[in-house]
Amino acid sequence: MRLISVAFLLLFVSCKKDVPEEVLVSEVLSNGTVVLCEGLFQQNNSTLSWINKEDASVSNTLFETKVGRQLGDTGNDIKRYGNKVYVVVNISSTIEVLDASSFQSIKQISMQSGGVAKQPRNIEFYNGNAYVTCYDGYVDVIDTASLTITARIPVGLNPEDLTVSLNKLYVSNSGGLNTPSMDSTVSVIDLTTNTEIERITVGLNPGRCITDSEGDVYVVTRGDYGAIPSRMVRINTITDVVVDHFGFDVTGITKMNNKFLISYYDFSTTQSSIGLFDPVSDVLENSSYLDVTGYTTLYGVAFNPHTNTIFVSDAMAFTNSGYVYEYTTSGAQIANYHVGLNPSKFLFYE
Amino acid sequence: MIKFAYIAFFLCCFNVSGQIDTVQNISEVYVSTLELILIEKTHNLILERDDIIELQPTDIGDLLRKVPGANLRSYGGLGGLKTVSMRSLGANHSSIVVDGVPLNNSQTGQVNLGQLMVDNVEKLTSSVGLNSNMLLPVSAQISGSNFVIQTMENSFARDTLTIRANLGGGSFGQMRGYAGVKYNPNKYFVSVFGSAQKAQGNYKYSVANGLEQINGTRRNNKYQDYNFGISTGVKFKKGQWRFGYRHKTIEQELPGSVIFYNETADELLETSSDRLFTDFKFRIKKLYTHSFLNAAIDHQRYFDPTYLNAAGEIDNQFNNRNVNGGISFIYYRDKWNLFGGIEETVSNLEVNDLSFAEPTRFHSFGMIGGRLNHDLVTISAQLSGQYLFEENNNGNVPRTISRLNPFLSIKSREWGQRSQLELWYRNSFRVPTFNELYYNNIGNINLLPEDAHQLNAGFLWTPSFRKFKLDWKSNIFFNQVKNKIVAVPTKNLFIWSMQNIGKTNTFGAEIQFEAKFEVNEIWKFVLNTNYTYQKTIDITDPDSPTYLHQVAYIPEHTANADITFQYHQTGIRISNYFVSHRYVLNENIESNEIAGFFLTDLSVFHTFNLGTNQNLKLIGNIKNIFNSSYAYIRSYVMPGVNYSISLSYAFN
Repeated sequence: MRLISVAFLLLFVSCKKDVPEEVLVSEVLSNGTVVLCEGLFQQNNSTLSWINKEDASVSNTLFETKVGRQLGDTGNDIKRYGNKVYVVVNISSTIEVLDASSFQSIKQISMQSGGVAKQPRNIEFYNGNAYVTCYDGYVDVIDTASLTITARIPVGLNPEDLTVSLNKLYVSNSGGLNTPSMDSTVSVIDLTTNTEIERITVGLNPGRCITDSEGDVYVVTRGDYGAIPSRMVRINTITDVVVDHFGFDVTGITKMNNKFLISYYDFSTTQSSIGLFDPVSDVLENSSYLDVTGYTTLYGVAFNPHTNTIFVSDAMAFTNSGYVYEYTTSGAQIANYHVGLNPSKFLFYE
Repeated sequence: MIKFAYIAFFLCCFNVSGQIDTVQNISEVYVSTLELILIEKTHNLILERDDIIELQPTDIGDLLRKVPGANLRSYGGLGGLKTVSMRSLGANHSSIVVDGVPLNNSQTGQVNLGQLMVDNVEKLTSSVGLNSNMLLPVSAQISGSNFVIQTMENSFARDTLTIRANLGGGSFGQMRGYAGVKYNPNKYFVSVFGSAQKAQGNYKYSVANGLEQINGTRRNNKYQDYNFGISTGVKFKKGQWRFGYRHKTIEQELPGSVIFYNETADELLETSSDRLFTDFKFRIKKLYTHSFLNAAIDHQRYFDPTYLNAAGEIDNQFNNRNVNGGISFIYYRDKWNLFGGIEETVSNLEVNDLSFAEPTRFHSFGMIGGRLNHDLVTISAQLSGQYLFEENNNGNVPRTISRLNPFLSIKSREWGQRSQLELWYRNSFRVPTFNELYYNNIGNINLLPEDAHQLNAGFLWTPSFRKFKLDWKSNIFFNQVKNKIVAVPTKNLFIWSMQNIGKTNTFGAEIQFEAKFEVNEIWKFVLNTNYTYQKTIDITDPDSPTYLHQVAYIPEHTANADITFQYHQTGIRISNYFVSHRYVLNENIESNEIAGFFLTDLSVFHTFNLGTNQNLKLIGNIKNIFNSSYAYIRSYVMPGVNYSISLSYAFN
């Protein structure tokens, strides 16, 4: 008996792991980057990483350290509005509202309706309101002062992304949970009345939406991951008509000053590219603006206006901890950071 | 290297004790008029009815965690998905044989062990390497490992009447009952049984969330099932014939994983299964044969009433039909024997979703083998062939598979106090399941079979003293799995698909030790322990961040230690189970770690003798007495301390 107990004890001891030293994050966040790492479905392992610009150190437990609990399952979006940061957590079905400088929790908004998780996806702000796409077919309106949901606007199937132009909200209805019969429309919402006024057909499986300096809305139609390729269209927001179909490969669009970074990840060949697009002339100026050929899985792209640098993430086949690479606008890679699982979005601090 | 030191430690400390086994005293060959079993002690674990009653497992899966080399994956709850993978090969490399008939499920691969009843199990044998019974169905003899179950209702008995009954209840609204009766006059038997159980499944759990501890109650976890069956058999001079029917209906709620801040769960799963089977044993002089025929239909309905698609729900219904039959033989001579057989399985799948494939699979097996008994060694060799092709009324089909696989074993003669050495090599594979090939976006019809190579060296020592029996079995093994079939996110985070991407090496060791000590008629002591070490590493791609990392969900260490004390008719059994930490993904980093756990179950039992050949056993059972918070799979929390009480009646 004693021998067995000793043996078991030894097993336990042998299984203890050294805990890596935690990088300290200052009380008030500044001069750095928050990276949203989505984690994986059903693993409760979505995290926020903090990249400290000064010494290039990385903390991969920013949320847990500051808030004392975990972010939850599959974080999908992070944005700042005023003095608050909003993190949209898709599978946990919450919106975490944090103080932008101290990163202390202000409120956790539970996104459930009649016992069913709404599955929020992305957030956008306009005139003191936050607008959140929810996979149950609504855009929720949240008053950013009271942090309560003031309205639910019905849209199409599984709304994904959203963007504001000319007092209207453009929402891409992906229909992603209705595969293979996905949606192909963009809902247009009048932000004065908070009602849908138009539904524009743009192409199969609409995703990323973005507004350019002239007020035009660009939408990525992701196709069926097979015969129908992933493309981009342009909507004239005065007439609400699709006026351009672009022929190049695209899965993501990122704003960089007055230009767009056009990212593309081909899952069948695992090839990636980042090009430069001018939304004024509507011309792809450079199809390989940044060299991302060595990437395993090109994922998030963002432009940091404070440092004038570009942050790009590699999701490492979605199952390994990811990397973030920093580039100058002339395309030189100047830094890399090892972050959490599936880094996708960035929030930059001066 | 430090880890190997612990194994050495185990070897040392146990060598000083002595020991014996349940099959110990049976000679090398067990021959009756119809049965011929070559006893292979080197790597079998046998659990019998008494063990099962004392352990109070909820199902077969719960029981199989006792097997050395077994890695249980349980999603929790009664009836929840449970699979067992032996020696890191993956669950689909093991086959399950019940009363001489293999159980197949071409839709999912391994049958859900959480849904196989244990109440009527008389004996469970687990083996890797050389089989004891050359009359097992061919598919089971050539698979990576097998579990053989014998039930009360489908076996001939010495007594005219056999009765078994169990009644029990416990925490989370668990209630179960079972009764089986067998009438067995001289030449034939008839039997009938029925069982039912239900549970609320609303167990409390506790999980860490950062600095906080979340206490919750499992929701949407109700379960109920019932089983019934009839069997009959006839014995004649040179043979025996058996025939039976089994039915099973299960209704269960699926609690899903514990998602932080989101407790919504409302999915349902309904399962029903009907099975007709027959087998026939026949002997002509030195030629023993066993043939079987089995027809099964498994129906499954998965219902998610709040899925966010256009219909607002998912209601998938699957019908998986399997018909299989085969014949095995052994021609037995003292100096040599010849064995072999053939088997054919035809299965199909029908789904109410018209976009799903409608596949039909034809899978043929053939095997021939021989054994030579020399003065010093016994050499066994086996060559198996398989041919598989598929039709699909609704789309493309995967490629046809045809393979030859060898098996070779060299075993020394026993020496000294019954010591023995064995060396064996097995090459086997498992085919992709219908789900892996066709399931909506996930399926991939280009999948290749998953190949496995196993190399094993074993040593056993089974001395017997007057009051003391010892049984020491130890193995070291090296396994390699190629073209591992794994689900990975491909198109994006949410769209996963099945791929042949992995190649893994396993370096492992198993030690199984059993000691029985009968002090006198009144005092008895039994110790059963086993320990398994498995270093299973990813060797797919040297440039990958997971190269040489321990593969996801495979613990390096697993151990069991059961201690039974018996005084007169009263006994106590303490059952300990340990699993070391695992990683939820192949990358061995802290954030992927899931903690190891140590479980202790305690059983107290008392047997009331109700006259000749009749007894009633009362069992009180406490599971997880230290209330440890644990999970086999991340976010699928398991219950804390829980109780059950049951009565078990046996006549003959």
